[in-house]
Amino acid sequence: MAGRVIVVTSGKGGVGKTTTVANLGTGLALCHKKVVMIDADIGLRNLDVVMGLENRIVYDLVDVAEKTCRSVAKALIKDKRLGNLFLLPAAQTRNKDAVTPQQMVAIVDELKEEFDYVLIDCPAGIERGFDNAVAAATEAIVVTTPEVSAVRDADRIIGLLQEKELYEPVLILNRLRPDMVKKGDMMDVDDINDILAIKLLGIVPDDEEIIISTNKGEPAVLNNHSKAGEAFRNIVRRLEGEEVPFMSLGGEPGLFGRFLKLMSGK
Amino acid sequence: MLLPVNNPLNAEELVFKGLKQGLTLFIPEKESFGHWLDVLDQRLDQAKSFFQGGAILVELGERRLTPGEVAGLKKILTKYRIRIKDFNPLSKKKLTPPPQERLPHAAGALLVKGTVRSGQRLENEGDIIVKGDLNPGGEIVATGDIIVLGALRGVAHAGAGGNTQAEIIAFTLAPVQLRIAHIFSRPPEGRRGRQGPEVAYIKGEKIVVERL
Repeated sequence: MAGRVIVVTSGKGGVGKTTTVANLGTGLALCHKKVVMIDADIGLRNLDVVMGLENRIVYDLVDVAEKTCRSVAKALIKDKRLGNLFLLPAAQTRNKDAVTPQQMVAIVDELKEEFDYVLIDCPAGIERGFDNAVAAATEAIVVTTPEVSAVRDADRIIGLLQEKELYEPVLILNRLRPDMVKKGDMMDVDDINDILAIKLLGIVPDDEEIIISTNKGEPAVLNNHSKAGEAFRNIVRRLEGEEVPFMSLGGEPGLFGRFLKLMSGK
Repeated sequence: MLLPVNNPLNAEELVFKGLKQGLTLFIPEKESFGHWLDVLDQRLDQAKSFFQGGAILVELGERRLTPGEVAGLKKILTKYRIRIKDFNPLSKKKLTPPPQERLPHAAGALLVKGTVRSGQRLENEGDIIVKGDLNPGGEIVATGDIIVLGALRGVAHAGAGGNTQAEIIAFTLAPVQLRIAHIFSRPPEGRRGRQGPEVAYIKGEKIVVERL
């Protein structure tokens, strides 16, 4: 059976696409799935750094597309912690036009026969890089943060995904700060649901551990003390079809808050 | 519906037919819309010189399009420099309200299912009805009325082309900007969309909003 091909996208840059791919990839591999992550951000590659695999790159996505290396398998880098997790890195010295959507489809078609999951890290923007990343995907995860601009871009991306026949993208809300939501200084889950109206796959709280783990090249899912890591582990289980309740972030309105909300008719 | 004996909406193929309203593309009701877009792209590619620069009508029968599907159709047609004159010339009567004095335009209505998202733009000569929301960054432009059966949070332009009788109606009216005919307006700073349907229309030289 062919594996699932999931693109992780957002429109806006810096909302956590690469972190999400690194964590979901690692998390799925921890569940004994065979996973390959493709960095489609040619020219601005990051996924290798976040995974701590930068110094092992020999061939990249462009080499595979141009058939400079003999097979896709030759360009895959095995993760240093998990034997069933692989990375197909982007080229750093080329740009997005170095690969065509057709080439991406061909590469992914080959990979999905071998792997349970093909995760594609989409670059920011809506141009060629987006077209490439989305071309071969059959599912999409949209990542956003609770900011008006990020939500606006996510909305745009959902529209574009639907034009590419990815009709049911799911949402990861990243970097939520329950304390700020509580004070009314940050959009809450309902505000975002109201606008985007797609299925919520998970909420990841803002967590300093993420910055530390990103710098160290060790995804947060591996850290049992990280709140964000826990959120990503839950998302992995939901991807695998398990019903997992959304974890309590301590930011829900208390009884009094809920009463106020009721009174204001919201 | 006034259809020829061999109903082209039941056909296995895309059919172009000359009706008295003009050249009409019939998109069959079977198969996915995406499938027909691919077929259309191929057909037009083969007959490039024939269609270039023309305007056609599009008959969809019972099919309802999402904003993304409308955009997809327009994208392909634009590639071959074809304009859509109107939708559903045959089923028109079914979609539009009976002509009244307040609605002198009574052209065809475009009914769209789903949310109009940021970056999407719907246009129609006639009315537009959206079964969904209009999100910030999205635009709807109609020569007639605009009705949003959901929250209107983007930019809506009714009566484009100069009809000052046009109205904009939404279940929740919280627009970035409203335009009717030649008049622009934006909601006062800090106004949050009130719950409940509202209607916007021109009174004097201003756009006013009232509970419906």
